[in-house]
Amino acid sequence: MKNHIKSILSLTVICAVVTVLLAGTNMLTAPIIEKNQAAAANEALLVVMPDGTDFAAVDLTQYTLPSSVLEAYSEAGGGHVFKLTASGYGPNMIIMCGVDAAGTVTGAVCLSSNETLGHEKTYGESTKGATAETIDSVATISGATMTTENYRNAVKDALNSAIILGGGSVDIRTEEEILADNLAAALPAGDTFTEVFIHEALTDVSAVYTAANGAGSVYVTGEGEDALFVGVGADGVVVSDVDAAIKANIEAQAAVLAASTLTEIDLSQYADMPKQVDKAYKTSGGNYVIETHGSGFGINGDHYYNPSGEYIYVKVALTADGKVINCVTLAQSETDGIGSACADKEFYSQFNGKDETTYKDIDAISGATLTTNGYKSAVSKAFEAVKIMEGVA
Amino acid sequence: MKKENTMSVLLKGLLRENPVFVLILGTCPTLATTTTVTGAFGMGLATLAVLVCSNIVISALRKFIPDTVRIPCYIVVIAGFVTVVQMLIQAFIPDLYETLGVYLALITVNCIILGRAEMFAGKNPIGRSALDGIGMGLGFTLALLAMATVREVLGAGTFAGMEIPFLVDHKIELMAKAPGGLMVYGILIAVVNKITKGKVIKKKEFSCAGCPAAAECAGGCAEAVKEEQ
Repeated sequence: MKNHIKSILSLTVICAVVTVLLAGTNMLTAPIIEKNQAAAANEALLVVMPDGTDFAAVDLTQYTLPSSVLEAYSEAGGGHVFKLTASGYGPNMIIMCGVDAAGTVTGAVCLSSNETLGHEKTYGESTKGATAETIDSVATISGATMTTENYRNAVKDALNSAIILGGGSVDIRTEEEILADNLAAALPAGDTFTEVFIHEALTDVSAVYTAANGAGSVYVTGEGEDALFVGVGADGVVVSDVDAAIKANIEAQAAVLAASTLTEIDLSQYADMPKQVDKAYKTSGGNYVIETHGSGFGINGDHYYNPSGEYIYVKVALTADGKVINCVTLAQSETDGIGSACADKEFYSQFNGKDETTYKDIDAISGATLTTNGYKSAVSKAFEAVKIMEGVA
Repeated sequence: MKKENTMSVLLKGLLRENPVFVLILGTCPTLATTTTVTGAFGMGLATLAVLVCSNIVISALRKFIPDTVRIPCYIVVIAGFVTVVQMLIQAFIPDLYETLGVYLALITVNCIILGRAEMFAGKNPIGRSALDGIGMGLGFTLALLAMATVREVLGAGTFAGMEIPFLVDHKIELMAKAPGGLMVYGILIAVVNKITKGKVIKKKEFSCAGCPAAAECAGGCAEAVKEEQ
């Protein structure tokens, strides 16, 4: 018994002494370790803001910032560093961007990404020196438009956030929100708007949206910054306050679209019709709507690996002389986050206005060559089908 | 037990009873941390520090610690010193801390340290235990340095991070990997065996008396085994 007590006692004493020793060491080293770790964290911040000092995290709950902002740091000189998320062709690009007190980008780097071409590694350099006013004019990289455009948008979010943190206010709505607001403003009576597949050649109309409640449609003329949203009532009369010339044009275009009908063409009468052509329609305006499919990564794969076994289905509206009026993806099962970008308007709208000689000049989906090729081949069948039906092939 | 002279206590760890190449202790950190010379040097010094400190403390407490709980007591002392060293390295040499990673914490279970505590410090006075710690620690450090020099020079074409012309373009990647480590380890054991003329191994058959540490142990472990049986 005596031995047991001695054992317990000695082990307890040793443990207690060691504990005191550790506590002492911890008191000495903890502040230094903390300082080291903070310095290591700041190193990433210094990359995008070399002159920054005394970085401190900003409490994001106090501000309404663009949703892409993950973290924000302020520094002694009045500048800010933002950690942002953006999706390129793949999701989850993480971008670090520094903005100085004057609202100029001091640097931007991509910390991690799933992009395939690697442009995101160097693109940040070109945004250096940009301000909220000039960021939109920073060129994107052709062939990697999606990656660089989204990168640029993230930098823009950083610039806007810096303005907001500085007490200013900016429009931080997303493109979808801006579009919805524009549509609602053009046709206040309309509710949920959906885009209409235009299959007639319209003059000066880039898109048409129709209201779900039957209140009418919104016609968009012009592109980008110059886009004008014109509301047209269910009766085909322009309700927005616009120039007489624009009003007349839009009403004429609306009449064309309203009068347009589709007649399905019996494909069996054409012996040499490509088998990829699923359906064909002739419009009352003399144009064609062709539904085709192509083998993307889903079915073609590497000839031995077929992830989904699904074709890419495409609907193309063409003029009788083979010029694309409109193009849309009907269905696809390409790799999510890579080839699935073929379902994005940014991709398929590239075919608009192209013909058989120019349709290949589109920006491919980065990392999804098979998807892009399959898509192009589906579109090419539409050109073939029109030639056959027009009797020129 | 025959008294060794003081010099011999210090020097035996370097070669004759080198913990790595003769006693074959601490194999895990030996293989894991010898891909770079700086990492090996840091590991060696960290172990040396823990070894000396724990040897001194355990030697000082050897009359106080009851036999039945000596292993837990040793472990607590060793773990305490390892944690102290770990915190100091994290605070003052953060790069080394990154390099050594988990192996720093694993010094606690390095059998060299527990081995010396059990074999030497628990039976010898403080001064000699400290010398034993220094000798064994240096022996461990030198062994790691020898291994790391071969592996880094051949495997990465660098020495302590400095590029070596020609070799840097002709790396033998295998050397930086586990098989390369085992190969170098085996070859170095053979070389040490040759230098010591195999005395330590050949002395007896593979038995308790044939153990290189037989002098201090004096069959202690064999007795312990017998007792247990």
